[in-house]
Amino acid sequence: MKRAFVFALVAAMSTTALAATDPRTLPSKLEPAWQAKTREVFKQAIEIPSVHHRGEVPRVAKLLADQFRAAGIPDSDIHFMPYEALPGDKTMALIVRWRSPNATKKPMLILGHMDVVEAKREDWKYDPFVFREEGGYFYGRGTSDMKNGDVATTMAAVKLMSEGFKPNRDIIFFYSGDEETEGKGATLGASEWRNLTDAEFGLNADGGCASYDRNFKPLGCGISTAEKTFQTYFFTTHNPGGHSSRPRPDNAIYELADALKALQNHRFQPMMNEVTRGYFEERAKQEGASHLGQQIRAWLANPNDGVAADAIEANPLEVGLTRTRCVATMLAGGHADNALPQSAKATVNCRIMPGVDPTAVQAELQQLAGPKVQVAPDPNYIGVPTPTSPLRPDVLKAVSDAIHKIQGPGMDVYPTMSTGASDGSFFRAKGIPIYDVDGSWGISPDDERAHGLDERIPVRAMYDDVVHWEMVIRELAGK
Amino acid sequence: MRFTVLLACVSACALAAPTNAATAPKLSQVRHDATRAMFEHVIDIPTVIGRHNVPQMAQYVADQFKAAGFPAADIHVMPYHTASATQGEDDTAALIVRWRSDHPMKKPIMLMGHMDVVEAKAEDWAGTDPFKMVEKDGYYYGRGSIDMKDGIVAITQAMIDLKAAGFKPDRDIVVLFTGDEETNGIGAKNGATEWLDLLGHPEFGLNADGGGGGFNPDGTPAGFTLQTAEKTYASYTLTVRNRGGHSSKPRKDNAIYSLAHALDKIEAYRFTPMQNETTRAYFEGRQKEEKGALGDAMRRWLANPNDGQAADFIEASESEVGLTRTRCVPTRLFGGHADNALPQLATAMINCRIFPGVDPNAVKAELEKIVADPTVAVSRDDDNLASLASPLRPDVTEAYTKAVQTLHPGMPVFPEMSTGASDARPFRVAGIPIYGANGGWVVVPTDFRAHGKDERLPVQSLYDNVVHWELMLRDLAGK
Repeated sequence: MKRAFVFALVAAMSTTALAATDPRTLPSKLEPAWQAKTREVFKQAIEIPSVHHRGEVPRVAKLLADQFRAAGIPDSDIHFMPYEALPGDKTMALIVRWRSPNATKKPMLILGHMDVVEAKREDWKYDPFVFREEGGYFYGRGTSDMKNGDVATTMAAVKLMSEGFKPNRDIIFFYSGDEETEGKGATLGASEWRNLTDAEFGLNADGGCASYDRNFKPLGCGISTAEKTFQTYFFTTHNPGGHSSRPRPDNAIYELADALKALQNHRFQPMMNEVTRGYFEERAKQEGASHLGQQIRAWLANPNDGVAADAIEANPLEVGLTRTRCVATMLAGGHADNALPQSAKATVNCRIMPGVDPTAVQAELQQLAGPKVQVAPDPNYIGVPTPTSPLRPDVLKAVSDAIHKIQGPGMDVYPTMSTGASDGSFFRAKGIPIYDVDGSWGISPDDERAHGLDERIPVRAMYDDVVHWEMVIRELAGK
Repeated sequence: MRFTVLLACVSACALAAPTNAATAPKLSQVRHDATRAMFEHVIDIPTVIGRHNVPQMAQYVADQFKAAGFPAADIHVMPYHTASATQGEDDTAALIVRWRSDHPMKKPIMLMGHMDVVEAKAEDWAGTDPFKMVEKDGYYYGRGSIDMKDGIVAITQAMIDLKAAGFKPDRDIVVLFTGDEETNGIGAKNGATEWLDLLGHPEFGLNADGGGGGFNPDGTPAGFTLQTAEKTYASYTLTVRNRGGHSSKPRKDNAIYSLAHALDKIEAYRFTPMQNETTRAYFEGRQKEEKGALGDAMRRWLANPNDGQAADFIEASESEVGLTRTRCVPTRLFGGHADNALPQLATAMINCRIFPGVDPNAVKAELEKIVADPTVAVSRDDDNLASLASPLRPDVTEAYTKAVQTLHPGMPVFPEMSTGASDARPFRVAGIPIYGANGGWVVVPTDFRAHGKDERLPVQSLYDNVVHWELMLRDLAGK
């Protein structure tokens, strides 16, 4: 996912006895036989290193398609859609249509992606592409982002089919193969492949909605209805270079380092919108008299109170919710050990507040980087600001019921703003409202490891998610 | 190499008094054409590490010697493997040619050079392909045109020409052309150890990858240098690790920002100024003709080696960079693993040229002190030992000075400490003095493009260099 676990949030102050129990130790409501089936498919999915350019995504597609086929979906409704994402990256989307025998409503779309972010063996404690269960967790690249969601949605459908459930609307499963890089699959899915994907609305399984804090207090389940715009920029410096035995006064690497230091110290203007205001009002109640609670109230009272907004932004639970954020993620420079660099480049990843034009962010970055540094957007991915999706009562009810039944009534469900874009943005931009409603969960912030080291998911969260999707599908396609 | 032809000395601040210049012999048309054809042929072979092209060049040069009547038994193409963690690997080769004397009176002279070149990217160059020699505006353009395929061609053509003219050396002349000077220096290490018998345990070596001279843009002579000492080449890596995470939720600590701060400190730092015999002789020569502020600084520093301000002023002059102290500069940057993930790793390579006699381990300790950040690890990339200076031999200095001044009457000649490192180091360490004694010249400073973009050699320099080597060999192996 380009967005992070939504995690942070609104716990009801009236925490129940459940809050004191470690949720990882409770049994899942998924039957043991289905736990075993789920675990096996999850293991196979994790062990396919579907990183860009490795050509492995089609194997994940085949794995998922095999489950649907075995459950009775005919080949004519299983579509393998090969495409090229980054130049040379041959990947694939999978589109599966579960037909209703007598549809009474327009189709519903379920979204996921089969690719994962790069993970290097030397950086991880164990091989990121070897599935491991340890201490109540499943470990491996993609365990939380988002092969968990792929497997949960697939297994929920397979289980429902085995139980004879007949949906009253077509359910379209759309799994892309380049969400982490280009989002080209989602772009195609929302446009060229629209005859296969057209739907009334979509549910995105990318990123669990729920979390607990370290004291096992439920922090809520956030359904994102607004999202920041994803845009990567490149900071590039150039220099005539020369022999490294004769250092020049100017140096491409030093000039880039200066710009990065300026970026580190820069803070964008705090902003509040309808969704985040609602969110922070809930948070203020929950935080009560704590320092954070006071800062939130101060900011709500005066949106120009930059000091309060800065204090909120500095809290690990609230990062990215008060403004546009940009951070350096990659570096490259030089061409030989013994030559002065002729160029140096930093990748700067931005998450832009809804409604802000990315070109304005580019201008602000250029201003702080100075004239020696060229700032340009990544030509391979031009972010498109998307409208807020109005929260449908039927979706809110279906997700709330499922979450409350599985996680208990203490786990609130509320709309939020996602800090990153996912495949959902391409469909939103083309008129299909998308809601991020995956039912997996983690301990915040310890389990927030998407894209990072030693990515993991609680074992129970994986199994819970199958039950969650089963309930959500029954509610939205069965009544 | 290091075509570090210095300076801006206007007339005779010389190592030796101008001799009564003999008229320079002129290259025959046949030799001129053969020289150009050979130069074009070798420039067009991209002998960059990893491309496996050096053996092809070695064979070609060997064939030139064979065609000129050098016995095949004395011509050895020596394939070898070169590899290191940071510089890459290659199947490369050295060429050893031994021109035997009928009645050797002295131990052999070794003539040295290297056939490999630094990487060059066509997109960085202004209009010409770096691996296609182009003659334009009085220059030959191409990677290796000054570093140092000109020296390879000049030595080869000089020996062929001398042989054709019936010259009988009174000592063996051995050629050692290596294939990885720009990277791992394995060829030179082999030369100074296991190939030493084949090389006949030379008394001293003349390195075409050093020395040389320059003219000022107005055509006045700037000077030639005889290289007798060189700084120690050593590379270090700065490494910063971080937990990383999702880029939509930036952490307070960031590997790239920490690295940027470390680089900033290195940029601001200046090592303690130092002098040795060679650099004192050099600056004594230089100051005689430098009337302005630069000359004043040289005089002050010679009078008081503790006058750091004077040394700083000299170091800041474009013509004197690297001559007053150890210098370190970042040459390469790496960091991150995905544009939408916080970096788990960021590294910078720091390339140092260490004053002769200073232990590279001491420089590592100094870098750690400069960076002063326990999260930034400093490690060595090689196990290079401190380089030593070669004593000034009267026969070599006279032969070099005479050759230079025969071709360029009135040209001042200086002893030089090279700021680069070359294949000379392992021989100097093994007790075989090496003198950088090439006869090529450029226009200073505009043609200082070794390792950089649009590397080029004045057309006339190529032919002058052939004559230069003939003059030196007649002097040192013909009396």
